[in-house]
Amino acid sequence: MTLYEVRGVSYRYNLDRHGVQALCGVDLNVRKGEFMAISGPSGSGKTTLLNILGLLERPCEGTVRLDGAEVSGMSERERTRLRRERIGFIFQTFNLIPVLTSYENVEYFLLRRTMPGVEVRRRVLQALEAVGISAQADQRPNGMSGGQRQRVAIARALVRDADVILADEPTAALDQATGLAVMDLMRRLNHERGVTFVFSTHDPRILAAADRVVQLTDGRVIK
Amino acid sequence: MRRVPILFRLALRNVFRNRRRSMYALATVAMGAMGLFVFMGFNRGLMNQYRANTIRARWGHGQLYVRGYRGVAHVRPWEKWIQKPEPVMERLRALPGVVDLFPRLTISAMVMAGGGAVAGQGEGIDGIAEARFFDQLNFTEGGNFENRADGIVLGQGLAQGLGVHVKDEVLLVARDRTMTIRSARVIVTGVFHTGSQEFDSRAFRLPIKIAQRLLGTDRVESISVALSGVELWPAFAMAAAAALPELEAVPFDELDKVYYRHAVDWLDAQFSFIRSIILLVVFLGIFNVISMTVMERTAEIGTLRASGDSRLEIALGHILEAIALGVLGGFIGLLAGCALSAGPLREGVAMPPAPGITRSFRIFIELGLRDALQVLLLCALTAAAGCLLPVWRATRIPIADALRHV
Repeated sequence: MTLYEVRGVSYRYNLDRHGVQALCGVDLNVRKGEFMAISGPSGSGKTTLLNILGLLERPCEGTVRLDGAEVSGMSERERTRLRRERIGFIFQTFNLIPVLTSYENVEYFLLRRTMPGVEVRRRVLQALEAVGISAQADQRPNGMSGGQRQRVAIARALVRDADVILADEPTAALDQATGLAVMDLMRRLNHERGVTFVFSTHDPRILAAADRVVQLTDGRVIK
Repeated sequence: MRRVPILFRLALRNVFRNRRRSMYALATVAMGAMGLFVFMGFNRGLMNQYRANTIRARWGHGQLYVRGYRGVAHVRPWEKWIQKPEPVMERLRALPGVVDLFPRLTISAMVMAGGGAVAGQGEGIDGIAEARFFDQLNFTEGGNFENRADGIVLGQGLAQGLGVHVKDEVLLVARDRTMTIRSARVIVTGVFHTGSQEFDSRAFRLPIKIAQRLLGTDRVESISVALSGVELWPAFAMAAAAALPELEAVPFDELDKVYYRHAVDWLDAQFSFIRSIILLVVFLGIFNVISMTVMERTAEIGTLRASGDSRLEIALGHILEAIALGVLGGFIGLLAGCALSAGPLREGVAMPPAPGITRSFRIFIELGLRDALQVLLLCALTAAAGCLLPVWRATRIPIADALRHV
């Protein structure tokens, strides 16, 4: 079952009047439940590809289908709704809200749903438990280690029952052991819950954990 | 709607996220709120004192005239004066809110003493009744003539012009309605000043019986009304119109339109201008703080947008934060305003004489709950307005650019 179908996608940045070709005719399929890595040197277009998959940017050329529906031409409102309901994000720098506790950071994105308060609480605690951070539920991000913060970020992406979680260099800001632990956690959640993970990295040990590695160079898929 | 509580929580916590910056914003709003609140109290004190002075120095809460008399020049004005004033006053006393009534008769006369003569404009009054209510007439010498049948009180300028003092005799010379010259000798019992130099240089008051005798009439020109409260005037005026349709009830602010009404309007306009400046300072303070805040939180805004928050929700969060700053700063300002008026300004503010006024006075700061609520509302609205542009800009940043922001 294909989750994403990317066909002929190109993207060009305009920097100081000079165009920079970030992606050039990318073709890619992502299967549901896949644990896929995007690899490549800096500037190869990894983040741009993840942004396009995450509906954060629109390709200059080509099409992107999510579950068969063409999403590049959708209205901003529709894309916002899709991001909210189907896509989770994990960032290199965690991007948690510093004035909210771990629990509240996870809860914040769930409160939009028409769900009883008891159910919200149950799901938030379950998500925190799944990433092994329930003991820090009342702590704010500033008092936590990088690994703990990234676990909260994973719980935040997980709690909404997203079809796919896109992670841009999720281990880059962590030490090696913590990075591997976070990757193990992602892998476990992928196995147990069937959530599709697409992540970018250039760490070979992290790449080894992936089902499939897509190699990008100069905006082109070379493998 | 379910997110409103957490948005509020987030907004309140964000207020204290960068304490130094929040302190700066709170101080700006608090100073503005304190300034507005105290200035409103000062303005209210000024207006109330001015109103009390206007009512209790000269006009009462209003006056009654024969309909069609006031504001029109009459060849034979005495024909438009109130006939048989006693029965009229009996009926007026039964109307709601009436505390006292004062029949009056205006008289133009030459006031003569020691070989000098000054044209004066006087009022015949009931000395005993008026002494009870008109307590803002300031005597520099002596006092009211009260029940003395041949007493007169002179305005300060008039007494100085004639060179007379208390217990001196003056001669009043006037023409009656048949143009016959009549005169009366009266004794000065007091010299007063109202604060208005122009008025004090020609005004005198004498027993109404003498004025009626000099003018050859038993009528009165007007009846001043003292009510138990200024707010009772509309009800009284309606009742008077129903009971005595031939009379017209005119409130004090209409009688003293040139001085009182215009002064109030002038002060209101001045206050609006100062309020605008204060609110502009608050606006700029909030604008500055929210602009810096938004720049600092660009990546966070990107994260929220990436995770499905709409532009409106992002804006709402920041607007709530600005409103929280406005209300909190406003509340601190109100407390500071209360402390200021209860402390250093407890004895009021000494004011120099106003234009056309000869005496200085003190204005007491009269703080009101309604003013406090108005200040809080203004602070909240100004703070919300101050954050709109930076927040609008923030929500327009492409999500990917926002996420790249360091």
